[in-house]
Amino acid sequence: MSEPSATAVVEVPRPAVVPPEPYTFPEGRRRTLDNGLEVVAYDVPGQYVHSVRVALPLPLARERRDIEGVATIMARSMDEGTARYSSAEFALLLERRGVALGTSISEAGLTVDIDVAKRHLGYALDLLRQVITEPAFPATEIDRHRKTRLAEIEQERAMPAQRGAIELIATYFDEAERASRPTAGSRETVRSITRDDVVAFHADNVSPVGGTVVIAGDLDGVDAIAEIEAALGGWAPPPAPGSAASPWEAARVADTRERIVFIDRPGAVQTELAVACPGPDRSVPGGWSPYPVLGFMVGGSPNARVDAVLREEKGYTYGIRSVFRPRRRGGMFLTSGSVRADSTVEALGLLLDLLDGAREGFTDEEVRAGVDFVSMTAPGRYATADAIADEAASLSLEGLATAFTTANLRDMVTLEADRLQAAYRAFVDGRWTIVVVGDAASHLEGIQALGRGDVTVVAG
Amino acid sequence: MADIEYPIVDRTLPNGLRVVVSEDHAVPTVTVNIWVNVGSRHEAQGRTGFAHLFEHLMFQGSRNVASGEHFSALMAQGGRLNATTWFDRTNYFETVPKGAFELALWLEADRHGHLLDALTQENLDNQRDVVKEEKRQRYDNVPYGTALIDVYATVFPPEHPYHHPTIGSMEDLDAASVEDVQAFFRRYYGPNNCVLTIVGDVTADDAFAAAETYFGPLPASAQPPAPVLHALEPLTEPVRLERLEAVPNDRLYLAFRLPPDNTDEFFACSLALDAIGGLSTSRLMQRLVRDEQVATGLSAHGMGFVDGVSLGLVSVDIAEGVDPEVIEATVCEELERFVAEGPTPIELESSMAETERGWLSSLASQDERADAICHYALLTGDIDYVNTFLERVGSVDAAAVQAAAARYLTPASRAVVAYRARPEEPELASEPERQEQPEQPEQQEVQSA
Repeated sequence: MSEPSATAVVEVPRPAVVPPEPYTFPEGRRRTLDNGLEVVAYDVPGQYVHSVRVALPLPLARERRDIEGVATIMARSMDEGTARYSSAEFALLLERRGVALGTSISEAGLTVDIDVAKRHLGYALDLLRQVITEPAFPATEIDRHRKTRLAEIEQERAMPAQRGAIELIATYFDEAERASRPTAGSRETVRSITRDDVVAFHADNVSPVGGTVVIAGDLDGVDAIAEIEAALGGWAPPPAPGSAASPWEAARVADTRERIVFIDRPGAVQTELAVACPGPDRSVPGGWSPYPVLGFMVGGSPNARVDAVLREEKGYTYGIRSVFRPRRRGGMFLTSGSVRADSTVEALGLLLDLLDGAREGFTDEEVRAGVDFVSMTAPGRYATADAIADEAASLSLEGLATAFTTANLRDMVTLEADRLQAAYRAFVDGRWTIVVVGDAASHLEGIQALGRGDVTVVAG
Repeated sequence: MADIEYPIVDRTLPNGLRVVVSEDHAVPTVTVNIWVNVGSRHEAQGRTGFAHLFEHLMFQGSRNVASGEHFSALMAQGGRLNATTWFDRTNYFETVPKGAFELALWLEADRHGHLLDALTQENLDNQRDVVKEEKRQRYDNVPYGTALIDVYATVFPPEHPYHHPTIGSMEDLDAASVEDVQAFFRRYYGPNNCVLTIVGDVTADDAFAAAETYFGPLPASAQPPAPVLHALEPLTEPVRLERLEAVPNDRLYLAFRLPPDNTDEFFACSLALDAIGGLSTSRLMQRLVRDEQVATGLSAHGMGFVDGVSLGLVSVDIAEGVDPEVIEATVCEELERFVAEGPTPIELESSMAETERGWLSSLASQDERADAICHYALLTGDIDYVNTFLERVGSVDAAAVQAAAARYLTPASRAVVAYRARPEEPELASEPERQEQPEQPEQQEVQSA
């Protein structure tokens, strides 16, 4: 009603910020079991779901060329029954105690995951042992997973971003490299996979030697390492060790990688863009710490260089992201996202100018904001059992322990503009592999006219 | 059952703002999470998509904050933040190092109290374009992208609050004006129409005091919410929509009207859907995917809403060469069998075990826990929901699950949306998602890969 001056504006001053203490990744307890498995246990009080990750190095290049995808079919079939249980029985054993089991294959290895409520840990570890050491691989289940993968391939071809990603690796990597083809296999190779192939691949490649088991969660009252030893300590290494030669070499890029491939999808209302060049792995001379910061400053938020123009100024995109993606050896600097169809040519031109322009360096303000964002978000990013376990497992597949995470963050806070510029220039030299997924009839001429490389058109 | 007991306390400020605090000193961060009681169900005809477009404008500056500064100021302090819009609500949230907690509250209070001071036609036009690209990216340019829009329109009657999707239509987005933004803000935004939840490394006393400092001066400006609608009864005979699309395989959606969220009947329907098609040992998974191998993918779950009805959804990816009508008949047969038999003890045990693990996982991180607490505090009034949910679901027995299925999950009450693959042009891409994610709200910002 009439309380006249009560509506006067009350201005509350902007509060100051108190900087956080330096961050240290949780310390794990470690032990190497007699069979070669390294066990690491992280006690995270209050985390009532335990996360277990078994990470086994397994170079994807061990797949035979004609049955690529066999590692993925193997991984997806490992919980489809074991020496003692049928597929349906095993699924029930998992589900009745709420055990979430997953498997995945990357260029560096096989990971088997379990997430389970604390009180069912021992039960779940026994199921984990069976999945890894005595999978039955029933023929009907292999056949089902092969069909599912074939359906998935069609779905991937239909999604613009995934279609672009498949073309990008095919263009970027030398065709002799396994990395130039999809991790989970292609139509022809997946069709050729037999049960015998899966059984043999498992017998030849899934071994405790060099592997790491991570457990994270509330370990109060739990001797986690003893429980894991009880479950997996009896897993015997295979009699013949794998090839003695180091399998970890960087995949070679194609001599012809500096070009543009235009995947034609008539009538597309958006155009998907992917722009890539070589990047570092985590062992790069000069340190890895600049690269997460560079990815953030270039394309990590609505205010980063790319989206400040393409999203917030122009309104051409919902968001474009840049990331330095490390592999076990070597890596890739990738920028990708979709733009409104009628902005295709201008958006690609602006994007390349922004990426190339970053070679001129970053302001102190950008550097401080980027360093602070990546380093100061760490405590929150690594607060949960699953995040800690995932970080430890994925680093182990790159031959690293989580002391790397702490050291990297400590180094990151010392970064200055000149070191970041040098790190960017060490890889970004203006020679790009570019994939465009969109309507060629409308945009091909414009893309050619940009003069940023030869353009090859392929069917969508 | 796991015994969880997160400490949760609340206080309501004189201006109507309910503040909920849960201390957690495990990590030196604090999450600030605000749920506003407005979503796409509140939108007027001809203005669909507006609640979400409005949410984007909340990042374009306010009285003391420049455009984009909400993001940049918090990210530069190690904050992670976003906002989302869904049928019943809009949420804004950030997790920051504890030393930046008051800055987060200050920024939130500035935009929740004084957004209109910075509103411009230019900002509206820019974010309208961004939202249109979000729609094209997530709906229009991907296979099956528009299927859920078809589902809502088929299972709910025209002009019902859930008939249209949160993303809205291009025409309605084009029609949105600066005046619409002003009216929407004045009607729905204000401390008396939202809940502020603070979780993390701060004491309850300090959190309440900070909430008072930054939000206390805001007037109770929102208008009282409209009452919820009467319950929407299940369909009495099947309805269907067929689409011939450039998709890689046929896919069927069977949708059902369920009772509102936070009711024993809704929990019972969720357990029933688990047993029918949600579990990896579910009846449909066993029969269609494992035994007969006529489907390559399957999902079933309930999506809880507040306004008189919820949605139950079963979707099936159909294997090549298999007749969708045969699949639909099989699903109906299994629905009938479930209604006749009810769940087995093992089905209930499995569903509860999966529910428990999923619930505990979703509460494991401070930011997700804050979101869950705020969600139920706003939409049900119960600040302690996260601590009691498992017990409540666990008390639903087999007879209740069977009765709920008999009422809500019968073949006669289904709405079917069938996406059929166009046979010709095999190389002309279509576009599927492997597992659709129906309960993805619209977001302010793309999630980094």
